[in-house]
Amino acid sequence: MVEYNFKKITVVPNGKAFIDIILSRTQRTTPTVVHKGYAISRLRQFYMRKVKYTQSNFHDKLQKIIDDFPRLGDIHPFYGDLLHVLYNKDHYKLALGQVNTAKNLISKISQDYVKLLKYGDSLYRCKSLKVAALGRMCTVIKRIGPSLAYLEQVRQHMARLPSIDPNNRTILICGYPNVGKSSFMNKITRADVDVQSYAFTTKSLFVGHTDYKYLRYQVIDTPGILDRPFEDRNIIEMCSITALAHLRAAILFFLDLSGSCGYSIVQQAALFHSIKELFSNKPLIIVCNKTDLQPLEGLNEGDKKLVMEMKSEASKSQGGEAASADDFLLTMSTLTEEGVMAVKNAACERLLDQRVEKKMKSKKMNDCLNRFHVAMPKPRDQKERPACIPQAVLEAKALEAAQKEGRKTEKDIENENGGAGVYSASLRKHHILANEEWKEDILPEFLDGHNVYDFVDPDILLRLEELEREEGVRQAEAEDGDEDFEMDGEDLTPEEREALQAIKKKKILLIQEHRIKKSTAESRPTVPRKFDKERKFTSERMGRQLSSLGIDPSRAIERARSRSVSRKGRKRERSVDRDGEDGMEIDGGSSNKKLRLRSMSRSRSVSRPFGEVVPGEGFRDSAQKMKAITMARNASKKRNKDARRGEADRVIPTLRPKHLFSGKRSIGKTDRR
Amino acid sequence: MRLEFCWFCSSKIYPGHGIQFVRNDAKIFRFCRSKCHKNFKMKRNPRKVKWTKAYRRLHGKDMTKERKRNRPERYDRNVMENTLKAIKKIDKIRHDRAADHIAQRWKPKAAKERREARKELEQSISLIKAPLAIQSQEPAITVPKIKVKAPKQQTVEDQLMEE
Repeated sequence: MVEYNFKKITVVPNGKAFIDIILSRTQRTTPTVVHKGYAISRLRQFYMRKVKYTQSNFHDKLQKIIDDFPRLGDIHPFYGDLLHVLYNKDHYKLALGQVNTAKNLISKISQDYVKLLKYGDSLYRCKSLKVAALGRMCTVIKRIGPSLAYLEQVRQHMARLPSIDPNNRTILICGYPNVGKSSFMNKITRADVDVQSYAFTTKSLFVGHTDYKYLRYQVIDTPGILDRPFEDRNIIEMCSITALAHLRAAILFFLDLSGSCGYSIVQQAALFHSIKELFSNKPLIIVCNKTDLQPLEGLNEGDKKLVMEMKSEASKSQGGEAASADDFLLTMSTLTEEGVMAVKNAACERLLDQRVEKKMKSKKMNDCLNRFHVAMPKPRDQKERPACIPQAVLEAKALEAAQKEGRKTEKDIENENGGAGVYSASLRKHHILANEEWKEDILPEFLDGHNVYDFVDPDILLRLEELEREEGVRQAEAEDGDEDFEMDGEDLTPEEREALQAIKKKKILLIQEHRIKKSTAESRPTVPRKFDKERKFTSERMGRQLSSLGIDPSRAIERARSRSVSRKGRKRERSVDRDGEDGMEIDGGSSNKKLRLRSMSRSRSVSRPFGEVVPGEGFRDSAQKMKAITMARNASKKRNKDARRGEADRVIPTLRPKHLFSGKRSIGKTDRR
Repeated sequence: MRLEFCWFCSSKIYPGHGIQFVRNDAKIFRFCRSKCHKNFKMKRNPRKVKWTKAYRRLHGKDMTKERKRNRPERYDRNVMENTLKAIKKIDKIRHDRAADHIAQRWKPKAAKERREARKELEQSISLIKAPLAIQSQEPAITVPKIKVKAPKQQTVEDQLMEE
């Protein structure tokens, strides 16, 4: 069944918008740059391409519009009529026709201009031709602008039409305005139709769906119909008329007994009679609504007669079937919801019967019926032949049934003893063992980090004996072997061990010292020996070290002391002074006073006298040293006078070292460092 | 319940410890702790990882492992009793054998050590004792005297003869 859904129609653009779209597309997707220096064929091709491209775009779009809009002759007459009612068939066809013409015109334009372009001799001429072609195409579209606008309107409205399947089971609700059709609709389906107190609240068809006997039924709510001649009807009423005319549906004609819709029963009856031709061949039910306001029995005579008349008409039109009289006239009240379901069921039932009947009559049904055939063999005589079951099987079945009830399962036992968490079944209950007592034995699974089951063996005692024998043998051998081994070399004596340890310690120290010495002066401070704060280089120390090596240190200490500077130097000075003046006056020279002041014990607390020769400087005697000093002074006198930079003056070797003057600052300036 | 062995380090996995990994080919890998598990995930070969039993056995540092019995036996109380007693003894024997194995490994080292110590003593004695001291002292820690054959004294005649 084709679902009539007009939502898939392409959007029809406005005339102007249409032109814009196509032209901008042309501009975007075809090449845009061309110079008059190009070869003429290239120029022609360039412009021809543009014209053809534009034409093909127009063609495609217009073709799509024409294809998408439904052709009124091809669709179901219900929709055809509905569309006609809504949009005027002629206007619709004309519009589409115009679109088609436009499409053809544009094709022709393009052909003509392409032919002309083939012989264009300059850039300017080709360009003008292209401009003309495109311009004419656009004019064509501009001319059909109103049609396009109309088609767009139609499309928008069509998209909102309810999707009614004309071939599906349908129930149609009709009657005067305000009788309660929409409220009934709301009751039986999930549709949410507007219900108001003014007439013509429902302005178009509405579809809802309801179920009955596992089948889906469409329920169509129509706008109210007034009793008027056919020609005078407006579009809204025409919608309902169309629906009534074309859809094969069950019809529920609504009557308002109370007259609260604003129309009397007389008027409603009149309407009924005027449209009763539309009800032919359709199951019809007359529904009296609003019984809460006015029950059927409470009607006055005239109205009642009218209603009965309608009922008889209805039954007549149904061909006088065996259906009960009640099927044609039902009462209900949508407000109190009494009788609503009854009405729905009656309508559905009637419709279903009718449809089934029709199907049965058609040829297709016969094929279906053939499939549901149970073949029964033709009885050849009157003898009864029931099913034959052997006795044993019957007995066994009976026994099994009895057993099932009588047997006690493990699960039952479990439940008796407290349930799943409390009772744990003994898995060894049915084990076959040599001694029944062993069934409940508890035994460990591991022992001392070994799995007991890895050792279980009926012959384990034998094996153990063998193993122990082996072990004994092995141990004996091992002892013998041990004795041989001991012969190789004696152990060290305790003194030897001590000596060895001392050697090791000494070696470690040596290595450490070497490592320290190995590091260059850059990474370690080098303090010359004369500034020996730790007093590492004393004669006592030397004495101690020598004695630890096993040598008597006294002679060495003597010798060291005798050669020490303080002693030696002093002795010499004294003897020189005593002999007499040497003629050399030493600056700041040593006077007797100074000599006396200096005692042996304070030999080191006073600094050396000026001209004293320090062994290691390289002077023969103090006279030579003084001479050297004088020479040095004289040499630098001139320079000092000239105020030139001397050796003692502070020198900055590099005024702008790179490492201080390079690099950026994250914040701040770098004009000074 | 069974005590399993860790696939990586071959240590015993007690119940409630470790992780089991089942591969798509249905091989089960059991690990005693995440260290082994992570090593496995890194695709390390236990035979190359020094601290595992697999390495140690492969390189002869330890003895072979115990085996698993797959045949189930019908339960017999007496057999079970004997088994339990036997396990203790077997365990002791196994332990002794393993200790012996290791001791065997270590034996040559002692002799080597002694030799080296002696040599060291000879060579480096001068670091702690001056040669003078050694000579004057009792020869407790003396260098063993090596007898060198002195060349025969050439007589004057021999010299003249050579010329």
